[in-house]
Amino acid sequence: MTSTRAVVTEGLTRRFGDFTAVDELDLEVATGSVFAILGPNGAGKTTTVRMLATLTAPTSGRAAVCGHDVVTEAEQVRRSLSLTGQFAALEDNLTCRENLVLMARLRGHSRKDAATITDRLIERFDIVEFADKLVKSVSGGQRRRTDLAASLVIQPQLLVLDEPTTGLDPRSRMEVWSSVRELVSDGVTVLLTTQYLEEADQLADHVVLIDHGRAVASGTPYQLKAQIGEQRVDVVTSDVAAFDALVTALSGRFTLTTNRERRSLSIPAPDETADLAAVAKAVHATGVTVDELALRRPTLDDAFLALTGSPSSHPAEETA
Amino acid sequence: MTTISLSPTVTPRRFTGEVGLLVGRGFRMLPRVPERLLDVTLQPVVFTLLFLYVFGSALHITDPAGHPVRYQDYLLPGLIGQQLVFGLIGTGTATANDFASGVIDRFRSLPVHRLAILTAQVVGQVLEQVLGLVIVVGIGLICGWRPTFGIGGFLELVGLVLLGLLASTWLGVLIGMVFRSSDAVQGVGFSLVFPLSFLAGTFVPIQGMALVPRVIGEWDPIAALVASVRRVCQGTPSSGSWMLEHPELAMVGWCVLIIAVCVPLALRRFSRS
Repeated sequence: MTSTRAVVTEGLTRRFGDFTAVDELDLEVATGSVFAILGPNGAGKTTTVRMLATLTAPTSGRAAVCGHDVVTEAEQVRRSLSLTGQFAALEDNLTCRENLVLMARLRGHSRKDAATITDRLIERFDIVEFADKLVKSVSGGQRRRTDLAASLVIQPQLLVLDEPTTGLDPRSRMEVWSSVRELVSDGVTVLLTTQYLEEADQLADHVVLIDHGRAVASGTPYQLKAQIGEQRVDVVTSDVAAFDALVTALSGRFTLTTNRERRSLSIPAPDETADLAAVAKAVHATGVTVDELALRRPTLDDAFLALTGSPSSHPAEETA
Repeated sequence: MTTISLSPTVTPRRFTGEVGLLVGRGFRMLPRVPERLLDVTLQPVVFTLLFLYVFGSALHITDPAGHPVRYQDYLLPGLIGQQLVFGLIGTGTATANDFASGVIDRFRSLPVHRLAILTAQVVGQVLEQVLGLVIVVGIGLICGWRPTFGIGGFLELVGLVLLGLLASTWLGVLIGMVFRSSDAVQGVGFSLVFPLSFLAGTFVPIQGMALVPRVIGEWDPIAALVASVRRVCQGTPSSGSWMLEHPELAMVGWCVLIIAVCVPLALRRFSRS
């Protein structure tokens, strides 16, 4: 009964007092796939993940992980899944190696097996050079890699990563991504949450966009991007007069999204650099000076705007 | 869901193995954060010396029959009681920190029995508090405390103290889980434990206090603890209320009550949250 769907939720809901964190959420994660829950801060991503990991009980609805109900078969769920939480949950005053050994032993491995598994993970996640440092003295990226390794002291059927790269610098983010890709090639099903459209695009086979605990859109990254539009060219002028002049000059030739207050306008660029060149040429022809003219990827806010017709109600912390 | 599902796969051996691993985790960290042990090392030494040589010089205590009592012999049973209840603040702080760090959540996401996680917390803290008590007793003996019990009395003392430790530790774990911040635990702990430990006949006899503190003291659980330790160690009788006339019985009753209330509440809170 488990084979094709690693996670199924039906009407999954969690309330905290009057606040509904997760609202009638239906998800289906195919076994062997990478599934991303994309949404801004406070959208209900972490609460969803905590319910799947048996850390928070649903208020109503149901959820099953690898065919086991998260409420009535919590023990089997915990055996099937490994969770890497949003804040690296390692013991600060133990070394990276000691943390991994502890996790392996708690998963039921013998002392000897735990040591072997730990050595293998240290090698694989490139932890070697800081393996015997205390966790509190390693960098954020190193810590996150150790945390990821700690989730893999067993071969889980489902690996759950809650915002695996939030707060990491770009290089560390790439490292985490490559670790995740490697796991996926080993056949692990991955459910991850993220605030970054780019991250979902890079890693996931299927993305669900959530806001206020509800799914607002879902599909492959390709489908979502097709709806959102690919890249855009952004132009910011130095003053309002220049802004008005530019809008007048360009409005016949391009589809403009304008923000007069910020003196910025945005133009879809499906042909990327070709469109960038066309816009640059047109701007140059008007003789108006601009502060900024750049090609950029769609952000989470663009996604909300395109898919729901309104901006996300939460300030997105940062966009990739 | 408030029910604790005892999985059929949990064997006593696996359970004790898990508790052992989790207790071991705590002890492995201690040498790296020695300041965490101040409350069971330096603090008892300071308290003992302070009270013995600051207050002791001015206090003349008599037993209920009117015979003078050496202050060392009066104070030390009181300090044993105080150290024991201060342990609940240490336990609460440690528990709150563990919960805040996310480590406990990670343990909870593992197929580790949840009672094992809580038990390990309690066992680790009890062991730390035992260290504190050994230090109090040691410094007391050095400063001239002379308990008068035999082997039977000693065993009785050990039994009473361990029971008291279990009660204060479970209470501390529950408080730590409820407040979830070590600052809050310290605030609540000190504003509750401090007055109750002073009212309990720890440093001066309850009989001489004004009416309100005396009545509180006569029914203070810590007073039952202190009076029973004093009775066992020095043979000093206590009186004033039914509780103080039967301190051992009252002490056992309080502890059983605290444990009976705290364990299910702690487990309930732990299994859902």
